[in-house]
Amino acid sequence: MKQVLLFCLGIASSVQLFGADAALSEAQSIAASNRALLDQYCVICHNEAVVNSVKTANEGLQTTQLRNLGLTLDRENVADLSENPEVWEKVVNKLRVGVMPPPNYPRPDKPRYDSFRAWLENGLDEVAAADVDPGRTQAFHRLNQTEYRNAVRDLLAIDIDVEGMIPTDAPDQYGFDNNADVLALSPVLVERYVLAAHKIAGLAVGAAPRGASSVTYDVPLNLIQDDRLSEELPFGSRGGAAIKHFFPVDGDYRIKVKLQTNYVDFVRGYGSAHAMEISLDGNLLDTINFGGDAPGVPAPYSYAGNIRGSDEWEEFMMAFADEGFELVLPVEAGPRIIGATFPREMWEDEGIQQPRLFGYHLAVTELPDSNPGIGSIEIEGPLSIDGPGDTPSRRRIFTCRPENPGQEAGCATEILGSLARSAYRRPVTESDVQGLLRFFEAGRSEGDFEAGIQFALERILVSPDFLFRIEQDPIGIEPGTRYAISDSEFASRLSFFLWSSLPDDELLDLVEDNSLRDAGVLERQVARMMEDPRADAFIKNFVGQWLYIRNLDGIYPDPAAFPEFDENLRAAFQRETEMFLEDQIRSDSSLLELLSADYSFVNERLAEHYGIPGIYGSRYRKVTMDGTQRGGLLGHGSLMMVTSYPNRTSPVLRGKFVLENLLGGPPPEPPPNVPALEEESEGKKLTMREAMAKHRENPACRVCHAAMDPIGFSLENYDAVGKWRMEFANQPIDASGLLPDGNTFDGPDGLRDLLLDRPDDLVGTITEKLLRFALGRSLEYYDMPQVRQIVRDAAEDEYRWSSVILGVIESTPFQMRRTEL
Amino acid sequence: MKLFKKTLPRRTLLRGLGASVALPLLDSMVPALWSASAQVAQPVKRLGVVYVPNGMAMKSWTPTTEGAGFQMTRILAPMAAYRDRMLVLTGLNGVSSNAGVHASASTRFLTGVTPARTESDLRASVSLDQLVARILSQQTQLGSLELALDQSDVFGSCDIGFSCQYTSTISWRDANTPLPMETNPRIVFERLFGDTGTTDPAVRLERIRRDRSLLDSVTQRVSELNRSVGAGDRAKLDQYLDAVRDVERRIQMAEAQSSRELPQVEQPSGIPETYEEHAKLMFDMQVLAYQTDLTRVITFMLGRELSGRTYAEIGVPDSHHPTSHHRDDPVLYEKVTKINEFHTSLLAYYLDRLDATPDGNGSLLDNMLMLYGAGMSDSNQHANTGLPLVLLGGAGGAVKGGRHLRYAEGTPISNLHLTMLDKMGIPLDKMSNSTGHLDLLSSV
Repeated sequence: MKQVLLFCLGIASSVQLFGADAALSEAQSIAASNRALLDQYCVICHNEAVVNSVKTANEGLQTTQLRNLGLTLDRENVADLSENPEVWEKVVNKLRVGVMPPPNYPRPDKPRYDSFRAWLENGLDEVAAADVDPGRTQAFHRLNQTEYRNAVRDLLAIDIDVEGMIPTDAPDQYGFDNNADVLALSPVLVERYVLAAHKIAGLAVGAAPRGASSVTYDVPLNLIQDDRLSEELPFGSRGGAAIKHFFPVDGDYRIKVKLQTNYVDFVRGYGSAHAMEISLDGNLLDTINFGGDAPGVPAPYSYAGNIRGSDEWEEFMMAFADEGFELVLPVEAGPRIIGATFPREMWEDEGIQQPRLFGYHLAVTELPDSNPGIGSIEIEGPLSIDGPGDTPSRRRIFTCRPENPGQEAGCATEILGSLARSAYRRPVTESDVQGLLRFFEAGRSEGDFEAGIQFALERILVSPDFLFRIEQDPIGIEPGTRYAISDSEFASRLSFFLWSSLPDDELLDLVEDNSLRDAGVLERQVARMMEDPRADAFIKNFVGQWLYIRNLDGIYPDPAAFPEFDENLRAAFQRETEMFLEDQIRSDSSLLELLSADYSFVNERLAEHYGIPGIYGSRYRKVTMDGTQRGGLLGHGSLMMVTSYPNRTSPVLRGKFVLENLLGGPPPEPPPNVPALEEESEGKKLTMREAMAKHRENPACRVCHAAMDPIGFSLENYDAVGKWRMEFANQPIDASGLLPDGNTFDGPDGLRDLLLDRPDDLVGTITEKLLRFALGRSLEYYDMPQVRQIVRDAAEDEYRWSSVILGVIESTPFQMRRTEL
Repeated sequence: MKLFKKTLPRRTLLRGLGASVALPLLDSMVPALWSASAQVAQPVKRLGVVYVPNGMAMKSWTPTTEGAGFQMTRILAPMAAYRDRMLVLTGLNGVSSNAGVHASASTRFLTGVTPARTESDLRASVSLDQLVARILSQQTQLGSLELALDQSDVFGSCDIGFSCQYTSTISWRDANTPLPMETNPRIVFERLFGDTGTTDPAVRLERIRRDRSLLDSVTQRVSELNRSVGAGDRAKLDQYLDAVRDVERRIQMAEAQSSRELPQVEQPSGIPETYEEHAKLMFDMQVLAYQTDLTRVITFMLGRELSGRTYAEIGVPDSHHPTSHHRDDPVLYEKVTKINEFHTSLLAYYLDRLDATPDGNGSLLDNMLMLYGAGMSDSNQHANTGLPLVLLGGAGGAVKGGRHLRYAEGTPISNLHLTMLDKMGIPLDKMSNSTGHLDLLSSV
């Protein structure tokens, strides 16, 4: 039936010329009926008289809000959607979440409501199909901080501390930090790029540092060090840290370990004897025995800080207890793992519950018989230099070695040509190479062959060809023309989408063979790229931004409200969501499983938090969540934490999160001068639920809160750090809700079913986010038909990740571009 | 999550500063003006701006009395020692906005305009500090410094419909170029003194020479690209070229000043653990930047607009932004007041340092002009009227402190911008919606 309607619409304009006709009358009657529907339900508010009215002092908030939003429907021609598709896409968006018409206003019955939306969508798709607009990505798209780091890693096989080199990028209005429009360029950035190029080129070629430098890795104070903390640390170890450090050259280095101190700066656990093991790449370097030998009279148990010990003891505990925990040793250049940890005195096999060690509250740190912890690891060096060593980056760069001065130019050409091809992500030109050789020669004239390469490498790293993804219009093309982007540009779009990094040699080879877009080749490449470890970047960046997981780091739950919160839990939250998404994507599950899955990944700390018995050890493992409140994303502590305030939950934040990121209907911003929440009514203190209900009595607030609040309240069983609760403030949790469209539901299960009940909307929302992330630009109204097409195609494949990702890649906006109008 | 924060050695700059800075200081800044005839040099003009987010607890900010005998208030009290160089301004309005009330607060603070809500790009207007920097940078290596304490990468919790850029900065180089605010003191240090790890002029000159050749060749490449793209795409390249030229200019300046002695200061280790330490270290960096005359214009955000920072250390473990919607509830109001007070107590540390640093005949504080305040007044209502603003410092005599001034209702903050520009020696006729200059700043 829908197809018939579409057909009618498509030919309506041409048929009109010939007068009366069955098709025409049907189209006319549909248009008339839709016009009547708009007039009856929408135009009462969305009309020009209201929206264009002059602001008056005493007008209602609703009028103000309508004027701000500016949507009028009284004059729009619903008989021809092509006249203003932008407006109709806005209408579709509101119908999607069912927020319009607002509660207490008449609305059409559900079949009519749904059919109008479907008719609008199909009509808009038809309009778009007649003239596909791929949109226009920016010609110069600056790499963001993450992409820069990954590009350097893939170009030079070196992991850089990017945060210490270039500034972080602010996300756009949709929460993505790879939007070309927002990635502006300022003098500070150029300055940082130059500085970063010096540092990176020096590290990569193994240039001798000017002197020793030292780097300290601090272990967070709130990290509980009772258990084995890292896969890089030995079984049977307790606490400590394993850090990855890049040693710039072969030479001597000093490794210095500081122990954790308590709130009055005494070294923790010094009251009795302990051993600490220091390792390099898993090999034990030294065991340091300490403790139990502090001179003088100690401060009494539990009163350290309040009642002093003898001067001798105080001085020792504050200043000398962990003096000299250091080694000087030769280390070979390259990335190495340094571990510092404590052997457990009593331990069970991994996976069995370990003997309980400490058991005091986090704040109780003054007991001298507690266990020590690692406070920091400092690495200083090189104290002496033996040579540049054999690092992954040197192997990557120096693919040839000149045996005599006569071979230098040839070898430099080979090295720089290959580096430039990767860095610029396209075939190199003669002028690229000549330019770089000039820098090689300048560097060579003041040093050796490697110094020449180093300087030319700096030049590569500050080049606009490296720092920007460049997309250029074909020469001599008319304004407004749609065209397929070049294979080089396409390869970059692919790699920055799936890897947040450069295309690799295989992709560049295909570009040079002109075969990247050949039948079957693209699918195989996408599959290969998704299997590659570099695709972790897609999971981290896309998911981290879509679900706000990146915000986890910046939230500090109020210790008074959540004394149990520690860094171990924060790490576990992040890991759970990452591993879950990784599992979903790598096993090519249906996107619906994001919510419906009955499993997740936990370690002992997280299992304890979730109330899952029998999980021991720090390793994360897949656990079936049968009969618990966990499983899909809605039960992830990470999500619940990033949608809460530090000391309490916020149903509004959670409701907004779900609307925006799962249902695709972000609420508009609140009108200015929002009335305050009322705390009391008739002398009675209101609960949050009651206060929000009062807030919704204002019609201007009700429009959005009618959808946001019930969704948020349905998640109230999760507290602000995602722990399950049945009551709050001695009141049982009421997680039931009523949506504007009349749907009722209860609790996270109810919400989940509600979302799964509209798979196209859920998948459509994720697809929108994906397309935005893939293009690095805002989505426009003309992109929405593309999104719907991807979803329709994916639906036939159970909404699998592969079909959605491939759908995005094969979509017109990803494959094509339009010249400026 | 990053379990391990990477830092450089931890000896703080603060301790070493007083003792180990071999100050080339102010003599070298005014050699041309300084003559043996003991003629007093024209004090160097400097501008500082310190911004606080989420409005102010106005009842505890605005003095109840006006003029010279004004009553100190709770929030202003921590700075009471500088009353004589403090000018409290009441009654100035920010541009009102119907959308993005928080994005507007930070954006209008120095630009006088509200952010454009466009789908496709960022747009505001050049900010006060950057107008000043265009002129003052002729004498210094760095045009300006933009500093903050909060990272800008907050996902999904900026003002609805607006990029986080708007809430993360108050500085706009031009209408399309918001300037990122640096949060890491170590990077600020590197920007000031370079990363060569040495003050050896030969090494530094060598680096400068190399940087120049790198940038020259980048400029060439950009010009090549410029010839092959359409007019619309050139904007970004122009932005790039403009930035490159600015860095080149700095390099030239550095080359010219390469014989200048640099202070022996310990490089800060990274971002300190507590907010207070972080703020103080950033204030130290600012004093250092003025003192060495590497820049004369600094903007600083004590928090990004819409910040949800918690202040457990002063007994407010609640998130700032939601708490700032205090609903006039006395408990919440007290918490907001405490946060506001905490911020001015940190500023007082900065004032102490500036006042203790000699400059010409007086101190840095005597000669500079500093604006402190927020982009909205009552946070509960997102009010744009009667912004909390205070001018600090004497601007070399151009501003007379010790007073609380109230301006006629509806006076735009752009009038203050215009007047401040005037005091900095940059007369303009109009900025944004300005209606004229503010009077009384230097008299009565």
